[in-house]
Amino acid sequence: MSLGKTPVSVVNLGRVAYRSALQIQQHYIRQHFDSSNPTPNTLLLCEHSPVYTVGIRPVQYPAEEEQRLKDLGADFFRTNRGGLITFHGPGQLVCYPILNLGCFKKSVRWYVCEIEKTVINMCSKFGIKASTSPDTGVWVGNNKICAIGIHCGRYVTSHGLALNCNTDLSWFENIVPCGIVGKGVTSLSRELGRDVTTEEAAPVLLKAFSEQFNCCLVKADNSSTCECQAGKNSAGMERRYKSLHPPETYLLHTTQSVR
Amino acid sequence: MFSSFCPPVADVLLFLPSCCRCSPLSALLLLMLSSFCPPVAAPASLFCLCPPAASHPSLIFHCPAAALKYTDKHEWVRVEDGVGTVGISKFAQEALGDVVYCGLPDVGTKLSQSDEFGALESVKAASELYSPLTGEVTEVNNALSDNPGLVNKSCYKDGWLIKMTISVPEELDALMDEAAYERYIRSIED
Repeated sequence: MSLGKTPVSVVNLGRVAYRSALQIQQHYIRQHFDSSNPTPNTLLLCEHSPVYTVGIRPVQYPAEEEQRLKDLGADFFRTNRGGLITFHGPGQLVCYPILNLGCFKKSVRWYVCEIEKTVINMCSKFGIKASTSPDTGVWVGNNKICAIGIHCGRYVTSHGLALNCNTDLSWFENIVPCGIVGKGVTSLSRELGRDVTTEEAAPVLLKAFSEQFNCCLVKADNSSTCECQAGKNSAGMERRYKSLHPPETYLLHTTQSVR
Repeated sequence: MFSSFCPPVADVLLFLPSCCRCSPLSALLLLMLSSFCPPVAAPASLFCLCPPAASHPSLIFHCPAAALKYTDKHEWVRVEDGVGTVGISKFAQEALGDVVYCGLPDVGTKLSQSDEFGALESVKAASELYSPLTGEVTEVNNALSDNPGLVNKSCYKDGWLIKMTISVPEELDALMDEAAYERYIRSIED
């Protein structure tokens, strides 16, 4: 039974432009301040085309640096999240939990720690021993497998985590990822020696998330992944989302069932 | 006949050391002066030992240790001489973790109560800051550029964030005092 668990709707955006994902996050953030919405907690899953993003510390990345990275064929965005520079691209599973920490614990330090534990838990299900370090994120040895960078306003979170599945890791060679010199990056595929897609990783991440946060995940097509009855409003949210965003900016497909 | 020897009451206070301004001695002195001086527009609280300075920003009365008022978003504000110093509470800095960057507004920025005025970064999380009052930013704690950890180590003193004018003093009345804030914290932690 899952009575009493906080419901969290899962929306799989598929391949979506980073700019669109920012707008979509703002839509779901606004849901939290709309008192008519009983279940605004949402977890967005997506993949981006190649893009470099930076956080609220912009000084280290002047216009020249921005242009250099754009000239390599990637997009570039300055965001309101924490953390320094990172890369998002095909083969990387990006997860944006838009949660009200009041439903869990009102501490960003706690929240980021839980995100790290979620990813470590998920890696262990693949047989990968991952860990934290003094640098926020999830590491396999000295190589980062998952970057984390979040924003929190009025206890509502946005941005989130980016897990390398079968990402082309050479994109990271153009930057100092997360501003950490001397350390590398890795992926599920590199660690396991086989191709691991975002489609394979997504349900495992969702399972780990629901366990770590003790929540009840509800898929966007309104079918529950557990017995709880929450998420009745998620179909309505999808209709509203589709009316807000042109179809070419998203590709909606349901995730595999989470057991 | 005493009018030429009777400076305005408020000016007398300037010559009193700050530690005496709330003392019974200063209240007695004022009573004597007011009886000899021409009528001066003096708020009734002139004869109070410690009037809330924010209620009468024109007065230079203030208690030696101004009380903090708190918002439900864990900012505090201390009013001294009509200027509000703003920071975040111990509860807030513990919930954030080690602060590595403070994004603060420019001097001159006009803020309404509850406006976002900046963000603190910790553990790769950027957390918004909300103005406790309506006013204008007069000073920003530049020490935080090189030493953002002051927000954790000294959140009520050296880790202050901004100073601001107070356009609507009545807003202070709705903020929590220390006892109310302690109760609020306990209700969150339960």
